[in-house]
Amino acid sequence: MTIYTRTGDRGKTGLLSGERITKDDIRIEAYGTVDELNSIVGALIAILPQDRHDLIKALRGVQTDLFTLGAWMSVTMDSPLENQLQTIDKSRIDDLEVHIDTLQAAMPALTHFILPGGHPTAAWAHVARSVCRRTERQAVHLYRGFPEASRASVHETILCYLNRLSDYFFVLARYFNFIQGIQDIEWAP
Amino acid sequence: MRYTCNIIRRRWLSAKTFELFLPKPEGFEHVAGQRLVVRMDGIEREYSIVSAPEETDLRLCIRRVENGRLSVLLASCAIGTSLQISGATGYFVYQLSTRQAVFVGTGTGIAPFRAMAASGISGFVLLHGVRETAELHYRERMAAAAAQYAACISGECPMGRGCFRGRVSDYLKSQLRPGDYDFYLCGNGQMIRDVTLLVDERFAGSRVFSERFN
Repeated sequence: MTIYTRTGDRGKTGLLSGERITKDDIRIEAYGTVDELNSIVGALIAILPQDRHDLIKALRGVQTDLFTLGAWMSVTMDSPLENQLQTIDKSRIDDLEVHIDTLQAAMPALTHFILPGGHPTAAWAHVARSVCRRTERQAVHLYRGFPEASRASVHETILCYLNRLSDYFFVLARYFNFIQGIQDIEWAP
Repeated sequence: MRYTCNIIRRRWLSAKTFELFLPKPEGFEHVAGQRLVVRMDGIEREYSIVSAPEETDLRLCIRRVENGRLSVLLASCAIGTSLQISGATGYFVYQLSTRQAVFVGTGTGIAPFRAMAASGISGFVLLHGVRETAELHYRERMAAAAAQYAACISGECPMGRGCFRGRVSDYLKSQLRPGDYDFYLCGNGQMIRDVTLLVDERFAGSRVFSERFN
């Protein structure tokens, strides 16, 4: 079966909940950015030392979460299809916090603002961090008008997850520079 | 989850299409409209489940594809042959709505709609697009459940059989009143493309759910 369907050739696409909307709709922006972030995580995994199974496993877990998150963004509020979707468990936020704490404990404390960059793995982690923040902004915009949605708690978890995820990428970037013996690039105005 | 089961029956619906009956494994659950994966001799394919969740056996409606791989095997293997299935998966399920449901299937794309009708869904508009009348499977059952049933024949259409001569997209252009609908499309990719673009053009505000077979 070919991957192309030709149904999007005129600028519209279909949500999982069936609506046909234009490709510049905020919902498409939001889950398109989730996809962009997921691609960047994939690129980051590709340049990691492949014997760092711990980091690769953690990042693959993030990719799985992002897929789940994207599915939620592809259904309109209170669509019956929401009942068929997997949710992101709050424990995934706890997992991110454990990863953050573990990585931070391995490094000297941060004392300055730092510029994104350094080793390529650190640079890619910073790209992931900033795209994650864009994803978060778009998710906030998407869910802003629906505080009474029946699955509002799922949306809250998504926002919380994205907020924590960008912190994880920040700490990961510092960690990648640290293990390569590269100093953080301090901001010196 | 993978299950191993043995074929319990094969029933030919026409020269090219048959139903395959499998015992429903313990723990196997599905919603009408979903599909499963069949694996045999290293080949795997997805098929829509034509039986309703309430029915005892699992039933698949399969077209024997010329030069096909799995369909040719399934069409000719002995009753009792073992195969593996996994599933059920898919989001192509009926969504309760205030909008009129329009089911559009081509060929064996009728399968998920048969499952939906068998599980009690009724009052839909149904268009079944086929090349010849022999492929209008489940016609009586579907016509009984539908508010409106249209057999759309792209090939020869014998007079007096109540068929629409043309493709499903031709029917929609000429026969369906403007409005907001829930379209469910199942079948070949060309039909899904044509009807989806037609919906964008003439029935904007409608929802479209689709399941592509090839």
